[in-house]
This record gives sequence, C-alpha cells and structure tokens, in this order.
Amino acid sequence: MFDRDVWQEIFNTIKTNKLRTFLTGFSVGWAIFILVMLLASVNGMQNGFTNQFNDDATNSIFVRPGTTSKAYAGFEAGRRIQLKNDDIEYIKRSFPEDIEYISARYYANGTARYKSETGSYSIQAVLPEDQIIEKTLVMAGRYINEADQVNKAKVAVIGRKVAEDLFKKEDPVGNFVEINGLPFRVIGIFTDDGDDNAERRIHAPLSTYQRIYGNTNDINTIALTYNPTYDLAKALEFSGRLEDLMKRRHKIDPEDQAGLYVWNYAEAFENISSFTAVLKGIGIGVGFLILIAGIVGIGNIMVFTIKERTKEIGVRKALGARPRQIVNLVLLESVFITAISGFVGLLFAWIILAALGPMFQTPAFSNPSVSASTVITATIILIIAGVLAGLLPAMKAANVKPIVALSDK
Amino acid sequence: MIEIKDLHKSYKMGSNSLHVLKGINFKVEEGELVAIMGSSGSGKSTLLNILGMLDGADSGEYTLDGVPIKNLSETKAAQYRNKFLGFIFQSFNLINYKSALENVALPLYYQKVPRKERQEKAMQYLDRVGLKPWATHHPSELSGGQKQRVAIARAMAAEPKVLLADEPTGALDSKTSYEVMDLIQKINDEGNTILVVTHEEDIAHMCKRIVHLKDGVIVEDKKIEQVRAEQYV
Repeated sequence: MFDRDVWQEIFNTIKTNKLRTFLTGFSVGWAIFILVMLLASVNGMQNGFTNQFNDDATNSIFVRPGTTSKAYAGFEAGRRIQLKNDDIEYIKRSFPEDIEYISARYYANGTARYKSETGSYSIQAVLPEDQIIEKTLVMAGRYINEADQVNKAKVAVIGRKVAEDLFKKEDPVGNFVEINGLPFRVIGIFTDDGDDNAERRIHAPLSTYQRIYGNTNDINTIALTYNPTYDLAKALEFSGRLEDLMKRRHKIDPEDQAGLYVWNYAEAFENISSFTAVLKGIGIGVGFLILIAGIVGIGNIMVFTIKERTKEIGVRKALGARPRQIVNLVLLESVFITAISGFVGLLFAWIILAALGPMFQTPAFSNPSVSASTVITATIILIIAGVLAGLLPAMKAANVKPIVALSDK
Repeated sequence: MIEIKDLHKSYKMGSNSLHVLKGINFKVEEGELVAIMGSSGSGKSTLLNILGMLDGADSGEYTLDGVPIKNLSETKAAQYRNKFLGFIFQSFNLINYKSALENVALPLYYQKVPRKERQEKAMQYLDRVGLKPWATHHPSELSGGQKQRVAIARAMAAEPKVLLADEPTGALDSKTSYEVMDLIQKINDEGNTILVVTHEEDIAHMCKRIVHLKDGVIVEDKKIEQVRAEQYV
C-alpha cells in the first residue's frame, strides 16, 4: 500500500487529468461540505432549543388552570378553574418526596414611574423560590425573601431593562418606584439568560399583590421543580400523579384536557430531542444522497482512466502483474481521490463554521459546530465511498485481457 | 523448451466460428532463434498469444520448460508469464511516465524484488543494451530504436526462459531494425531462446530457423544459414 511505485502511478494519473480529477473530486468535497453543514445546522438548532429551555430549570413543571370542557361530578362544562394559595400547601403536603422547589405566580400589568420616566410592564408576583425555578440571576441587591412574603412588603425586583428605562444612570436599589400609584422599594435587579422580554418584568411578593387586588387567595400558575434525580420516565410519572390529584381536587373529569394544564418540561425536552434526532436523520440522509452523486462521479472518472490505460494494464499483465495488484491500484487511487477531496470539503466546512458559527446566537439557532465524532464518521464514510466508487472499475481493470496490449498495432 | 502438440484454436464470430489454428505441431529447443512467418490471417499472432499464455487453446498440449500449460487461473498465468516469458512488442509498449530504468525494473517489481536490488539489476540490463546513459530519460525522449532496446532490456530483466517478440522491427526503419536484430542475435548467442514473429523476409533470415504458417497450419519448417545483422549496422 505504501509502495512508491503505486503512488507514482496514482499521482501520474491525477497529474495528467488535473481538471477531470478536480471536477469529480469537487463533487465529493461538496457533498461532504453539505453533509457537515447540515449536521452542524441541526446541532445549532439543538443548541438553540437547549439554551431556550435552560432559561428555566429543566426539571420544572407548570400547573395552569383552564376552563372545563366536560361535565363532571355535578358540575356543568365551561366552569373556570381557579387555583388558590392552599393548592400550594396541598401539593407540598401530598408530594413531600417529589418536590424540590415550589412557587405560585400571580400576573398583573402595571405602569411604573420613577421621577419623570414611566413605562408599562408586566408584573409577576411570586414566592421566593421562584428565583430558582426560573433561574433568575440577581445582578444587584437581593431577591424577594420569606420576610417580604410574610410582611406583604411593597418591594420589587426589577428587570435589567426596566432599570435602564426608568433609572437611566441612577442606582435603582433602595429607591422607590411607583407601580400603579403605589410606591415599591426596589430591592434588586435581575437578568435572565433567556430573552430580553423577561428582563422587562417586575417581580414582587405574591402576598403583596394578592392584598392589593382585593385580598384574594387567587394565583394564576403554580411552578415547581421535581427531585432532580428523577429520569424522564419518573418525571412523567410524577407529573401524571400531580395532574390526577389536582383534577380530583378541583373536580375535573380525568379525561378533560382543557380543565387543567400540567406542563412538564421534561416532556417538551423529550419532544425536542426526538425532533432534532429526526432532523439529524434527514440531514444525514440528504448528505448521503448528494454523496452518492459524488461516488458515481468518482466511479465514472475511474472507468475513464481505466479505458485510457487499458493498454498499459495489458502490458503490466503481460509482464506478470496479478489481477489483485491491478485491483489494489485502482481502489487505492479511488480512495485517495475521494479521501483528499472529502477532507478538503470537511476542512472548508470546518473553517466556515469556526469563523461564522459563534455569530449565530438567535433563540432558535446557536453556535452550529461539528463534533469529533462527525469528523470521524465522515472519514469512515469517505473511505467506504472511495472503495465503492473504485470497485466496479477495478474489477473491469482486472479483467483486461493482456491480448489487447499485443494485438493493438 | 517449447513443445506443442496438435494445437487447435477457433474464434466464435457470431453464428459461425473461425478456425484459426488447425493442428499445430511444433518444438523449440533451448537456445534457438526461430522466426514465425506468415501473411496476416495465417494464425501467427494467435499462436504467439497462446505461447505467451495470453490466450488459451481449444485443444492440444503445450509444455513450456517441462511445465504443462493448461487451465491456468489469471493469477497463475500472471506468475508463469513473469517467470517464463519476456515480451517484446511492435509498439514497444513502454510506460511513458516511467523512466527507462523504471520500465526495465517493472517485471522485477512484480517478482517482488526489493527496490534497490531491482534498480541495480535493471541498470545492468540497460547497460547490456547500451543505454546506461539514458537511464533517467522518459520514453518520449528516446528514439524508436532506443525504445525497442529498452523494451528488450525489460523483457530480459526477469530472466525468462523464452523471449517472445511480436514484429519487433515493425515500427522501425531498416537501419534501426538491423540494430535491434543485431541485439537480438547477440542475446541469442548467449544461449537465450527467442521466438520472433515477422512478415519481413530479411528479418526472418537473421534467425536460425523459419517456421512458415499458412491458413492455420505449418507449411514449412526449415533451418537456415543465419544472416548476421552486424554487417548492416
């Protein structure tokens, strides 16, 4: 294989047919380029999705009330379900083993004002543990704590954008911001990895808001995280139990899909994983189809080469070349052209990804890249492709009758 | 050295078959220089192909140096060709991207002789045909006569039992033809067995024996007084 004569012959054929070799090599290089780019794009999408989900803890479950669509337990259909504070206590008591953190949310809109600056923001009244569930990062001051909750304190943690809008260059922490006419002391500023919109929110203690809105116990959403040691099956099983329990408590038909929504991130995560797996499959499939065109091209060039060299092969056989040696020569040449052009394609794709990849940081697409395993797979594919491309021509070459060399006068 | 008994060969041409060799009986001793003559279609090329193991006979026996040549696999045929036979072609058939030296070394490559040894040996044979100074030249830089001398060196490099020359002077002018025949005679003088297929009378008379083929049978087989090519060079 590492015979100087063999390589001399391969280089000679390539040298005498530079353009032809380049054009066919290009098709293989192009195919690999597309294959790698497709895989990298799928990778980028996967990264994008994962990042989006990382915004919230990936072991989180959200419970939202809805409107029943079925009559059940003496109630008519179309009944609005309302979650209350004691639902939280109930869940806590029912699943002490399963629950890690739990928070309730109450959503409102508010106009916030500081000095001459005003703005309209959504207000999310929460329990202290919400910080962990939503992965909220406090960049200055502190988050809402138990004391705020118990005292129904008029304090607010404002998003980074809110701070920029209202306070300009002033430090908001310790200052009072007027929300719907009531003064709230700013105790902290938060950022959120997820998106800018989250940073246009104001967080306040749940109890404070429940009192402002007429001393209710109402809550809009329950957010919780389950035991992080749970795997997907266990997580789904838990959210199933949670759903059953909540439906029973609120007298909703167990089959009613509209009465209560239990939204398990693990499930969505699983969906995304299988979605990207399918995309990856499609990417590989398309890449392969293009690669086949490349392989046919290489096969074609080899057939031509052999046709041109029929006489030479005949002479070699007359001089004692065994069929095996001829087959090896052709296969090696084919693998060589395929591998080199494929690597060029791979290299180009890699350079482009390395240069442009980090520029993509949109929610749905981020940092497309190729892994080492992709490169290794591509290499193996290339070598197999080279052998496949050379196989038929090689057999054709091995069958050249040495007579041809003699009778050709 | 070569023994052929009742050799038959026919080619299928569509529905009818063409009987080319109709029972050839033929014997060549070691050290002979035989010219095989005949007009085109006489079967002389077919005979040479069978002798060269490039084609199989339909029936009959062929023994080369005591080895029966029959039903050979491609690989076996390649081995025998390499070991027993050296080919000289009308159109030289040198590999044009290899230097003279590399061309001569090619049969040795197929004998798996190590590279260094193979080049030394090739150089030795190139020297014998008087082309040592041209060792690094490619065929395109050589004249017709020089190319044929390289081809002869190549045929001899594997030290075969028999040299088969198919119209070795067919593509050369008469002066160069005599030079090549002079070389062939000298090689024969050293005891090598050589078969030359030709249709030129003067070339045939530079051999020691002429076998005349006509319509697939040997019509004449005579020993002759050899004309030395040296005097024309």
